[in-house]
Amino acid sequence: MDRKRVPGPELTVPPLVEYALDQKRWSPQEECRHDANRQPEDLRPIYLKTGLISQASGSAYIELEKTKIACGVYGPRPIKKSGYGFSGTGTLNCEFKFATFACVKRRNHIRDPQERELSMILTQALTPAVRLELLPKSAIDVYITVLECDGLSSCFAAAITAASVALAHAGIEMIDLVAACSASYVIMDRTLSSAVPPPSTTSDSAPAAVSLRPPTIIMDADLEEEKFEEGSIMVAYMPSLNEVTHVLQNGKVDRSIVSQSVEHCIEACNKIYAVMRHALVESIDEKQTR
Amino acid sequence: MASTSISVSAAESPAFSFSASTFQKLHPVEFFRKFISQGVRPDGRLLEGFRPTTVHKNVVSTANGSAMVRIGGTTVICGVKAEVAEPKMDSPNQGYLVPNVELSPMCSSSFRPGPPSEQAQAVSEAINRVLKESKVLDLTDLCIEEGKAVWALWADVSCVSYDGNIYDAALLSVMTALSDVRIRKPTYNEGIIKVSGAEILDDENSFTLNLARTPLSATFSLFDSSMALLADANAAEEAICQGEISVTLDEKGQICALSKVGAASSSQTLLRQCIATARTRTDELRSIIRSQ
Repeated sequence: MDRKRVPGPELTVPPLVEYALDQKRWSPQEECRHDANRQPEDLRPIYLKTGLISQASGSAYIELEKTKIACGVYGPRPIKKSGYGFSGTGTLNCEFKFATFACVKRRNHIRDPQERELSMILTQALTPAVRLELLPKSAIDVYITVLECDGLSSCFAAAITAASVALAHAGIEMIDLVAACSASYVIMDRTLSSAVPPPSTTSDSAPAAVSLRPPTIIMDADLEEEKFEEGSIMVAYMPSLNEVTHVLQNGKVDRSIVSQSVEHCIEACNKIYAVMRHALVESIDEKQTR
Repeated sequence: MASTSISVSAAESPAFSFSASTFQKLHPVEFFRKFISQGVRPDGRLLEGFRPTTVHKNVVSTANGSAMVRIGGTTVICGVKAEVAEPKMDSPNQGYLVPNVELSPMCSSSFRPGPPSEQAQAVSEAINRVLKESKVLDLTDLCIEEGKAVWALWADVSCVSYDGNIYDAALLSVMTALSDVRIRKPTYNEGIIKVSGAEILDDENSFTLNLARTPLSATFSLFDSSMALLADANAAEEAICQGEISVTLDEKGQICALSKVGAASSSQTLLRQCIATARTRTDELRSIIRSQ
């Protein structure tokens, strides 16, 4: 029981959604993406802006159509927690949080295990780029709030991108920016596999039929597309050093497809890098005119 | 004597040649007093001036209703989510309306991670009281099936950027988000609540909330013993002010809530002045909401 907030009912559930039979809903069978104007390799347009949070050392806001993320960086500041002792290098703390209204189902105020895991991955993806050896005894805190989430892995990739721009905006020394991009594996034409529900008698032939049709790699999938995915991959990459800082792959998929999707992601990261650089240059221009 | 006085002034003169920003850091109260004695504030506002305010409705599509409010450097987003809950035993046909304000460590360095700070609790509770006591929403409107299921409206305010006056911003965002709420009409069948998944929502398949009134507020800070009244203080001003007066009014100008907190004392005339200024300010806010 949470005593520090206005209490509500113990348990609430979202209502069941019932779709009319004649209602047209997107599925991968149509051979096009949820947003029909996008090709499989197309990203959503990115809006990236720095300096949204006036009190933070550095901040960034990123928007990928519906996905909206705000990120604030504080520090470097002395480590306040006792018991940490002396540390020759600085520490990077990342906290990733969904706003309660960000997803389809309401999220709790208290951080859940998924948010804790994503916070840890975020730290791992960003740490290689930050020159922490220059900041002994101090901590950098990166706080990320997802205001709206349209696709989990793309939202997470956007968070890494925004966090690294916010770190740069805070004037923290880095060896490179970290751009991140996600891709999903979706079998676009399901006419074979979905028409026949998992057969119990022909169990030998069914998986073979599925494996004949390789999944399509679609970049920057949104929530509707994620519902149909076989798996997904997220790559965090330092574009000017040509180094990968983090790869996260979920789901069973062929090895060749994984290496192909990593290449696709790196290509996309280079595009994102241009947007990040533009946002940072813009922030310097704003500072000079002020 | 003459020689000593010269040497003192010579020793002191470099100490007084600070830049303005150094002076502000060393003597924030003195710095502000210098401005306020001239009737202006460091950010260029007059004492009774409010910061530019913008309101945007329907900014988060995953929420049933949402609003983003910016008052100067303060940015808050309120998202209202409607979920199904069991009603209380003693009020079987009443739903829930639960406002909560989250001051995350992202929005300012003065907030720490962990459970909500005292300030966040105070603001949440103040908004809850206004919504409840001035009967903004008839909770029986949220009934789905008496004694079985009701709507629970979670009105969560997430602060993105903090620069003072969170109460005005949070209340404005909650009221705007509530006016933006659209809930799909539910059907109840043997304990299962279903809503239609139609893509376009209209009055046929969904409903909006019937708000009895829209309380909005104006907050003033009391600076020092001189009882100078600062409207809509920012974070730096809040830190040096001793007291705060919040006036919450509905559209007819009736007072929904009034609070004066802090150690500074105030007079009756000051309070009347606050109410009069709050009237014009809340009218201005209402026209901002309407123009959106």
